[in-house]
Amino acid sequence: MFEWLVAILVFFIGASLVLYIVLGGADYGAGILELLPSGGLADKQKKIVNMAMGPVWEANHMWLIIVVVILFMGFPLAFNTMMVSLHLPMVALLVGIVVRGCVFTFRHYDAIQEPRSQRFYTWTFGLSSLWTSMWLGIIAASLFRERINTKSVDFHEAYVAPWWGLYPFTVGVFVTCIFAFLASAYLIGETKDLELKRLFARRASVFNVLVLFVGTGVFMAARRDGDDLARDFVSDPVSLACMVGAILLFGLLWFRIETRHSWLTRLVAASQAGLILFGWFVVQAPNVLETTDGPMSFQEAAAPAATLIQLNLALLIGSLLIFPSLFYLIKVFKAK
Amino acid sequence: MMTELLAARLTMAFSLGFHIIFASIGMTMPFMMCAAHFFFLRTGKKEYLELTRMWMKGVAILFAVGAVSGTVLSFELGLLWPGFMKYAGPIIGMPFSWEGTAFFLEAVAIGLFLYGWNKMNRWAHWATGLVVGVSGFASGIFVVAANGWMNAPQGFDWVNGEALNIDPVKAMFNPAWLHQTLHMQTAALQAVGFAVAGIHALLLLKGRSRRLNLSALKIAMAFAATASLIQPLIGHFAAQRVAVLQPAKLAAMEGHFHTSTHAPLYLGGLPDEEKMEMNFGIPLPGMLSFLAFDDFKAEVKGLDRFPRDEWPPVLITHVAFQIMVGIGSLLAVVSLLYLHFLKKNFFPRSFLKMLVPLSPLGFIAIEAGWVVTEVGRQPWIIYGFLKTKDALTPVPGMQYHFLLFMFLYALFGLMTIWLMKRQVDAAHRNMGDERV
Repeated sequence: MFEWLVAILVFFIGASLVLYIVLGGADYGAGILELLPSGGLADKQKKIVNMAMGPVWEANHMWLIIVVVILFMGFPLAFNTMMVSLHLPMVALLVGIVVRGCVFTFRHYDAIQEPRSQRFYTWTFGLSSLWTSMWLGIIAASLFRERINTKSVDFHEAYVAPWWGLYPFTVGVFVTCIFAFLASAYLIGETKDLELKRLFARRASVFNVLVLFVGTGVFMAARRDGDDLARDFVSDPVSLACMVGAILLFGLLWFRIETRHSWLTRLVAASQAGLILFGWFVVQAPNVLETTDGPMSFQEAAAPAATLIQLNLALLIGSLLIFPSLFYLIKVFKAK
Repeated sequence: MMTELLAARLTMAFSLGFHIIFASIGMTMPFMMCAAHFFFLRTGKKEYLELTRMWMKGVAILFAVGAVSGTVLSFELGLLWPGFMKYAGPIIGMPFSWEGTAFFLEAVAIGLFLYGWNKMNRWAHWATGLVVGVSGFASGIFVVAANGWMNAPQGFDWVNGEALNIDPVKAMFNPAWLHQTLHMQTAALQAVGFAVAGIHALLLLKGRSRRLNLSALKIAMAFAATASLIQPLIGHFAAQRVAVLQPAKLAAMEGHFHTSTHAPLYLGGLPDEEKMEMNFGIPLPGMLSFLAFDDFKAEVKGLDRFPRDEWPPVLITHVAFQIMVGIGSLLAVVSLLYLHFLKKNFFPRSFLKMLVPLSPLGFIAIEAGWVVTEVGRQPWIIYGFLKTKDALTPVPGMQYHFLLFMFLYALFGLMTIWLMKRQVDAAHRNMGDERV
């Protein structure tokens, strides 16, 4: 019974994270894309990003909140460990979330649209998107591979060392590339402007190649720290399958990124990101995090059964309310 | 240099103080927007459409700031108070999980409402605006219910510093949830109603778009006046609950140092904690006993019944309470005045001039009220079980955390005000700024 309660919650965390990455991640990516030179298409691009993100970004952001709520209610031990040991990157993440959410809305709803303030919003939006996705990657990387030290009283060892290093930063860059890739792939279908479509398609290809390179870089960075992450990925059949699948899709996408078939492109891109994330879950299962003292499993971190029952109930009923409304939202704004 | 504990408490205080303004707006202003939208759909008059769009843009901006500042809070619970979350998460996480659901629906609905013009059936579109309000209002209730548990904890057994036999449902429906949610939700309607009314009164005085601003004023005041006239009763109910649940808080609120029957109620006054006496206050003999227990002779526990290290800061709690009650009374009187003028269907300029400076008062009352709730609960974070100092994070350098977030809140607070001004200017340009 208890195992099942935990398992369902782990499923909800996983599903929420995947949705956060494939939906919310693209919103970060859109900001990153706006930082890149666009050959005179910047204004058109801004309009497309506003229209594509505007109706959905707050809903997309909610997946992160859901994960946080599940963690602090259902797995308080894990939540506390993260918030204490990763205090600094969490604060950095929060600053990014605040700045980004505010300036994106300000940019669209500022009643007086003038070049100077608009330029300020766009740059701040882009830089904070880049900043926040970096920190998301860094935090994700710090949770595992025995980086968190809960015993030390030394400031550096306890609060800096877990996230400071080549490996977490490479994962940060990796996440950034995935987000930019997702945004490029999704945005192709948002515009009818052929020039803009081509720009997004070109970027989708570039970032897809970057994802592959930086992904290899993640394994190398881990290796440099004496951690054979690549072997862990390959040794489990499921994570191996995820990796192979992501690479195969890479090939498929390479030939299919074009100006038509926008939904197919989106689907393939999202599956690729989803597979990478799922493979990562499989490698880390059944742990919610790993400290220098060893792993902490979801079961060990879980709250008493009475709490888990209520949390499951809220999530199940919540899903019945949320998913139909979410589909309606997508139907109204994304169905062509 | 401030201590780590003080820095963390101030960070939390400013985070909550910042968020509560946007949260209040986010959960009440959609209803005003819906009312204006409803009148537009029924009458087709342009001023209602302009008003809906103007308020909608306000809601969009304020909602976004509220959403991200709320995200900060959900993290900060763990970043600042891991010792609290260890216990509170499993016990009182339930209303938060419901709040998450409600807030998710709100986020979907606001996307539909903001961008759904001409893309949906007109009334379906109108209904999404209503969903924004209803789910926002529900979110508020869930979060305040969770706060109620900190004041009146139940739904667990405290055994050797561990919480056992957890009952999340019992925790959510704690003895403080009802009066706190009633009090807060009504306060939000008051504060936002008066703020909006004050802004439109100012625009009327400046002679801008009379029809638009008069409609706006009436809609806002319909909410504000109703709420302001009910609030004194709810406040009274809340005080009576606090008298039973947290007598130390009530004693601090009233500057009541010595346990007594026929306890006096002080108007104003500055309590002196050292000498345990009240300076400059006007005592109304027996009134505190009556207000707290419906009986002039009832004994009201003073702070002398509590060990010194369990006293909340008396001066802050008392002054904040006086500010809240003072503003609440003022707004109730002004509401009666409003009803009087509404009946005559004529608002003299002097009345409009009076509404303008009232604009921020409701928010000041909300802030003061939360100071009473939170400071009045000190030194406890979970009343009677866990002290705030024992919940603090071990991470050092909270001062920097405090400065960083102060800077962010100041920046975005100012930017929001600046943007609101630009909204109002633009809306009047659209109305052609007829000076009638």
